[in-house]
Amino acid sequence: MANIHPAGVFDTTYEEDMSVDRTARDKLWKNLAFLALLLLPLVSVSGPLGLGWVSDQYIGLIARISIFVIAVQGLNILVGYTGQISLGHAAFMAIGAYGSAILARELGFSFWTALPASALLTGLVGLLFGLPSLRVKGFYLAMATLAAQFIIPWVLRYPLEDLTGGTRPLSVPAPMIGPFAPYAEDPINADQPLVFQAGDPYLVDVISVDFTGLTGAYPVIELINPAGDAIPYGDVYMSVSEDSDGNVTGLSYIASKAGEYQVAVRAQNGGEFTAVIRRSKALSFAADIAMYYIIVPLAVLLMFLARNIIRTRTGRAFISVRDNDLAAELLGINVFGYKLRAFFLSAVYAGIAGCLLAYERNSLSLNAFELDVSIEMLAMLIIGGAGFPLGAMFGVVFIRALQEALIPFLRPWLSDWLPQLFPFIDAVNITSAINPIVFGGALIVFLVLEPRGIAHRWEVFKVAWKLRPYSY
Amino acid sequence: MTEFINRNKRQLTWALYLIAAVAILLFLGDQLAGKKAARIVQTLISGVLVGGVYGLVALGIVVINKASGVFNFAHGWMMVVGGMIFWSFFTVSEISLLGAGLLSSATMLMIMSTVSWRNLREGRNPLITLGGIIVLTALMTVGGIEWQWLHALTGTFAGAILMGLAVERFAIRPLIGQPLFTAVLMTLAVAEVLHGVTQIAWGTVELNLPVFVDPQTNSRFRPIRLDAFRDVLDGVAIVRVELVIAFLLALVAFVGFILFFRYTSVGLAMRATSEDQQLAQSVGLRVRVILAITWAVAAFLASIAGVLQGGAVGLSLNISFVALRVFPAVLLGGLESISGALIGGIIIGLVEQFGTLLNSSEQVGTNLAPYLVLMLVLVIRPDGLFGEKRIERI
Repeated sequence: MANIHPAGVFDTTYEEDMSVDRTARDKLWKNLAFLALLLLPLVSVSGPLGLGWVSDQYIGLIARISIFVIAVQGLNILVGYTGQISLGHAAFMAIGAYGSAILARELGFSFWTALPASALLTGLVGLLFGLPSLRVKGFYLAMATLAAQFIIPWVLRYPLEDLTGGTRPLSVPAPMIGPFAPYAEDPINADQPLVFQAGDPYLVDVISVDFTGLTGAYPVIELINPAGDAIPYGDVYMSVSEDSDGNVTGLSYIASKAGEYQVAVRAQNGGEFTAVIRRSKALSFAADIAMYYIIVPLAVLLMFLARNIIRTRTGRAFISVRDNDLAAELLGINVFGYKLRAFFLSAVYAGIAGCLLAYERNSLSLNAFELDVSIEMLAMLIIGGAGFPLGAMFGVVFIRALQEALIPFLRPWLSDWLPQLFPFIDAVNITSAINPIVFGGALIVFLVLEPRGIAHRWEVFKVAWKLRPYSY
Repeated sequence: MTEFINRNKRQLTWALYLIAAVAILLFLGDQLAGKKAARIVQTLISGVLVGGVYGLVALGIVVINKASGVFNFAHGWMMVVGGMIFWSFFTVSEISLLGAGLLSSATMLMIMSTVSWRNLREGRNPLITLGGIIVLTALMTVGGIEWQWLHALTGTFAGAILMGLAVERFAIRPLIGQPLFTAVLMTLAVAEVLHGVTQIAWGTVELNLPVFVDPQTNSRFRPIRLDAFRDVLDGVAIVRVELVIAFLLALVAFVGFILFFRYTSVGLAMRATSEDQQLAQSVGLRVRVILAITWAVAAFLASIAGVLQGGAVGLSLNISFVALRVFPAVLLGGLESISGALIGGIIIGLVEQFGTLLNSSEQVGTNLAPYLVLMLVLVIRPDGLFGEKRIERI
C-alpha cells in the first residue's frame, strides 16, 4: 500500500519517507490514544477518583488483551516479517511464565529482575528450537516448532516437577516496588504472636524474619487471621533468603490481601534461634487494576519496538528472507543468522508475555499453554494481518471481542433451540464448544475473504479517508 | 585438521550419527535389561499392532499431501467425526428416517455438484441423485439392530464423503491461487470447527464402541496369552485381540488403497495430479474434481482409522491426538511415500510402546518420544526415509 499523505504533504527526504509519524496530526492521535489508555483505570469503578465510568472487568480485559498483543507481536516478527511458521509459541510463553515464577519463588528474584531474566531465558530456548531452520524451512520448520510445543510442556511437567508443581497450579507473587525502610522491628525468641493491621491494597506489609544463631530445622512461620486460621497460601507469599554458604538466614512474607493477621514463629525439631521480625511497607501491584500500569505501557513500548524493527537493517533483512530466501542469500544476507535472530526476538516477546501472564493471574497452570493456544495466536495474527505492525493488536482485539461479546450472546440462544431441533444434543456441551466453532469460523472467513487481515483493510480505509470525497 | 574435516564431511557426519546411535542403543539396552523378556516381546508386538493403525492415519495425510501439497492438520478431527458417526449408527437401535434421509441427500447432492451445480439439471443426473439418496437411506435404515453393521458402514461412508467434499468445497477450493501456507492454516481452522461440532453433537465423554466383541459372549475378547513361550520368555506375553483385529483391518485397508491408486483410472488420475497439476490438466484431467475425490478418500481413510482406533482403545475427543503423533510417522516415512507411511507408522508405534514400557508414569511414550523422533528426522533427514529429495529452483 503506497503511502498516501494529506494534500500538500510530500516526502522529499529518505527520513520523511521512513518516519513513524509523518504528520503532527498522526502523532497527536497516537499520543491521545496512549493517554486515554493510561487514564482509563482512574475513572474505573475501583479507581481513585471514584467515578465509576468503566467497569473493572474491562480494565482487566484490556490488560489481558495487552499481554496477548505482546505475544502475538512476537509471533508477527517470526511469521509476519521473517516468514517462518511457528506452532510452538504458547510453549515459549510457558517458559517465560514458569521461568519468572521459579526465579521469584526459588531464588527470590523480584518481578523487575525476573522479567528480563525470563525473557532472555525464553530467547535462548527459542534459539535452540530455531536451529532446525538451518536445514528445513516452511512446513517442515512448522513441524519442528510443533515438536517444541510438546517437548517443552513435557519437560516442565515431569522432569522439573519439583520446581513447577507439575499438573498442580503454581502460585506467583505480585510484583512490588520496595520494600521501603523498615519501621517496625521486634526481636523475639519463639511463640510470640505479633498483631498487624490490614493494609490498603496498594501498600502491603512485607514481613521478614531474620535469624541469628539458627541451628537445626528452621522455624515454622505462620500468618494467622483473628479467627485463628492460617491465611491461605494464595494470599501470602513467602521467599527464603540464604547466605553464601546456603544457610537459611531469613524468610520474608508478603501479605498482599491478608487483612488483619498475626505472625507466629515457632521452633520445630529442637531448632534454636534468635529471630528479628521486621515489618516494612511496599508498593504492590496485587490489586486488580495495578498490573494494568505495568502491562499496558510495556505492550505499547514493545509494539513500538516491533514497528521500528522493520525500519532497520535487521528488519529489511527479515523481510527479504520472507519474500525469497534464496535471493536474500544472493544479496549477501546471512539467512540462517537472521532466521535465528527472528526466533530469538520472537521468543523474547513470548517470554515477556508469559511472565506478565504469570504475574497477572497470580497462578500458573500448564493448561494455559497448550497447542490450542499456539494455533489461536497464529490465527489472531492472520486475522489481524501478518507482517503489519498493527496486525497483532487488531487480531487479538478482534478475537477477544468475539469471545467476550458474541459468544455470551450466542450461548443462551443456541442452548435453547439446538437441543429442540436435534434431540440428541446435550445443552451442557454447547457452552465449551462454541469457542472453537466461532474462532475457526472467523479464521475460515478471513482466509477466504481477506487473507491479508484487518490491518490491510485499515490501510485501505485510511487511504480512502484521506482521499475523500474523491476515491483516487 | 580443517582440511581433513572438510574433505571427509560426509563420512564424519555418518560416524557421528553412528556413535550417537550406539550410545542410545547402549542406554536403551541397559534400561531394557531390567525388564522381563515377556514384557519386551509384548511391547514389540503391540507396538507393531498400534503402528498399523497409525500407518493408516499417515496414509490419509500422505494422500492429500501428494495430490495438493497441503498438509492436513484436520486429519485427527476427521478421525473423531468418522468414528462418532459410526458410533451413532452402530449403537442406536432405531435409525431415524429423517436423519438418514438428510445425510444421504446431503452426500448425494455434494457428490453430484462437485463439478458444478448445473450438472444437477442435465441428463440423467437428477435421477441418479434421487436413486442414490433412496439407496443410501434404505441401506442406513433397513431392519433392526441386527443390521447395525450395514447401517454403520453405509452411514460412515456417506458421512466421511460428505465431510471430505464439504471441507474441500468450502475451505480449500476458495484458496486456489493462494500460497500453500494459507491452505495449511485453513486445515487448522477446519480442525477447530470440527472440534466444536463434534463436541456439540457427541459431547466430551468417552463412548464405548463395541466393534471388536466376541460374537458368542457379546463381551470384549479375552486377550491372547502366549503360554507356549512361557519358558523362553520368562513370563507370559499378553496380546490384545482388539489390536490384532484393528491391525489386520488396517492392513487390508492399506493394501486396498494401494491397489486403488495403482489399478483404477481414478487412482491413476490422482497420481498424475500429484506429479504435476498443470500437466495433468493439459492432458484433460479435471484437476478440481480429482482434488475433491482426494479429500473424500482421505476423509474416508480417516474415518476407518477413527473406527479402528475407537474400537481398540475407546472413542473420545482424545483420538485427535493420535493424528498429532502420526505427523512424526509421516515425516519419517517421507511426505510423498505411501509405503513409507506404513513403515513410519509402525516405527512410531514401536517408539511409543517402548517409551511407555521404559517409563509408564510420565507419558514418555505418547507425549515425548514421537516428537523427539520428529526433531531427529528434521535435523538428520528432513525428506524422510522414502521421500523425494526436494530441489530448489530459483
